[in-house]
Amino acid sequence: MTRPSIVLRSVSKTYWRGRQSITALQNVSFEVSQGELVLLVGPSGSGKTTLLNLVAALDRPDHGDILVDGLDVTRLSRTAAAGFRNERVGMVFQSYNLLPQLTALENILLPMVARRQSNDRRAVELLEAVGLSDRRSHRPSQLSGGEQQRVAIARALVNDPPLILADEPIGNLDDETAHKIIVLLSDACRQRGKTMLLVAHDREMIGPADRVFEIRTGSLMIMERKQTSSVSQRT
Amino acid sequence: MIWVKLVFGGFGRRGLEAIIALAILILANAIVAGSLMVIQGARDAIARTAQNDRPDVVQVKSRFNRALFETPRGGNLPPLMLPVYEPLIDPDKFGAVEATVLARQSFLRNVVSGESFLNIYIFGIDPEKEPQVSTFSVDRGRFLRGDDAAVAVVDRASAKALGVDLGGTFPVRKADGEDLTLTVVGILDRLELRYPPPRTVDAPALSAGSSSVTSGVFVTLRTSEEIFARPTLTDALLVAPTPEAVPAVVGQLREAFRLEPGVFVSESYSRFRRKVQDFVLTLALFTALGAATAVLAGSFGANLLHDVYADRRRQAAMLLALGFRPMQSAMSDILFGLTTVAAAAVLGSLLAAASAPRQFAMPSLMAELGTIEPRFDALIVAVMAGIALAILGLGIGPTAWQVRRRSVAATLSEERG
Repeated sequence: MTRPSIVLRSVSKTYWRGRQSITALQNVSFEVSQGELVLLVGPSGSGKTTLLNLVAALDRPDHGDILVDGLDVTRLSRTAAAGFRNERVGMVFQSYNLLPQLTALENILLPMVARRQSNDRRAVELLEAVGLSDRRSHRPSQLSGGEQQRVAIARALVNDPPLILADEPIGNLDDETAHKIIVLLSDACRQRGKTMLLVAHDREMIGPADRVFEIRTGSLMIMERKQTSSVSQRT
Repeated sequence: MIWVKLVFGGFGRRGLEAIIALAILILANAIVAGSLMVIQGARDAIARTAQNDRPDVVQVKSRFNRALFETPRGGNLPPLMLPVYEPLIDPDKFGAVEATVLARQSFLRNVVSGESFLNIYIFGIDPEKEPQVSTFSVDRGRFLRGDDAAVAVVDRASAKALGVDLGGTFPVRKADGEDLTLTVVGILDRLELRYPPPRTVDAPALSAGSSSVTSGVFVTLRTSEEIFARPTLTDALLVAPTPEAVPAVVGQLREAFRLEPGVFVSESYSRFRRKVQDFVLTLALFTALGAATAVLAGSFGANLLHDVYADRRRQAAMLLALGFRPMQSAMSDILFGLTTVAAAAVLGSLLAAASAPRQFAMPSLMAELGTIEPRFDALIVAVMAGIALAILGLGIGPTAWQVRRRSVAATLSEERG
């Protein structure tokens, strides 16, 4: 049994829109082992992105603990959280979040710039790995959606983080491109033993996942192990 | 290169607003710098006038009267009747006045020079205090000291008329009929006596044609008392602590000399105040215009900067999400704002300095103060820097507060829509 990479204990998060409260997550607990690829599925607004943001220390839960490789990310200062993200997390956003004024290569280099260790060769290797070696000098506006997402994936991998968090990386892409992206992500994780939380709308991307978590209205309803198809209800 | 792009790139549609903000800030800075330059130049003009007019100085003088002068030893000339100040002022009466007292004995003397005689003004002064209000430029030798006796400092004109040079001597007849030999210890090449007596007889002069005395022999008060055999003064200057204190000093003097009809008190403060009042009002107008321009254009520029920063919140959040530390992320925004406002301040100042006239005169009554020379100095640099930092602070403040207050995830999701 490998040691857990991500541990969530009774995590809750509520947003306020005026006087109206919206429960994004309610008493969610789970563990993800090191090297495991977990698919998080659920309808829009079910709390998938919130869960990912909490694990990446982009937000704080109202209650509960979140441990990533033994580090309680809910108690990190803003500066420490930034350092944690830079060293241990590779984020792939649904809307790519590439800086429009930078080229593809420069966007990939950004996490390295943050730690003042710019390594062009590593970035070029990653560009080749995602099949965009001829697009290195193109800006995001000159790339297609699939190409932008591949740049975002390369950026998530550039610091070689042990944890990849991908928020609907194929949400805006056609089926063929989506398939390529998923294969690319899963291969990258498998080859380097990375843990990955992958958010998707539905179970179409279940293929490479070790387990599938389903979130409905803020609660983690079902946990499936793909190989055994076992189901356990947590809440 | 990436940092340069992070600082100066990614404005999108706000790029035009950033350029407009820069242009407006340059113009506003030019107006503010120009106003400040005029204000500084005008302050110089007022200071120059105050230096010339010395509104803080009050003059006390005795009645101007004709005095009988004996014919000197040689020659066959009739006695002379020459107009001089009478020595009527008792120095003890200055005791109750709250001002620095510069006592004087200003007399005219017939001095024998070779086979002839000439009229020479002899001034008994306090050597330590008199230079506060009068200008003595020593060409050779030294100026008087408080403990000097039987020595004199003369200007070039009087030295030439007396036929003496540094170290030379000349006799002055005392009131008791004896001669006092004075040794010349200093020669003056320039002399500007504050409130000199009127020039009424033929005597040496440094400035030809002047109606006031511009040349003479300067001795200590102790020596002049010995020559004239009396401690009373012919005139005195009183330096008030501030120009505004002059009316009180004048009141105290009039009270002290109320029983002395031959003693007159005069001041220049009232005239000076009338003279500069219009000027000060005009300056206040310039100051108000400059301040209003700074506030209005500064607010506008700050608002445009705020819009630019509001759009850059997405970049700030993205950088934080990728692991940039908050200070690193803020640095790109601060550098952008700092560069913008600094460029505006420098270019605006250069524009003002290039387009400002070298000198100009204010109209009508204010022209009395002379020409104004607009001046760029450290104070203007400090004010411009202060305005630039205030604009930057107002522009970046709300965005910095929001980025700090909200989570990175909230900022990213807000900007996404």
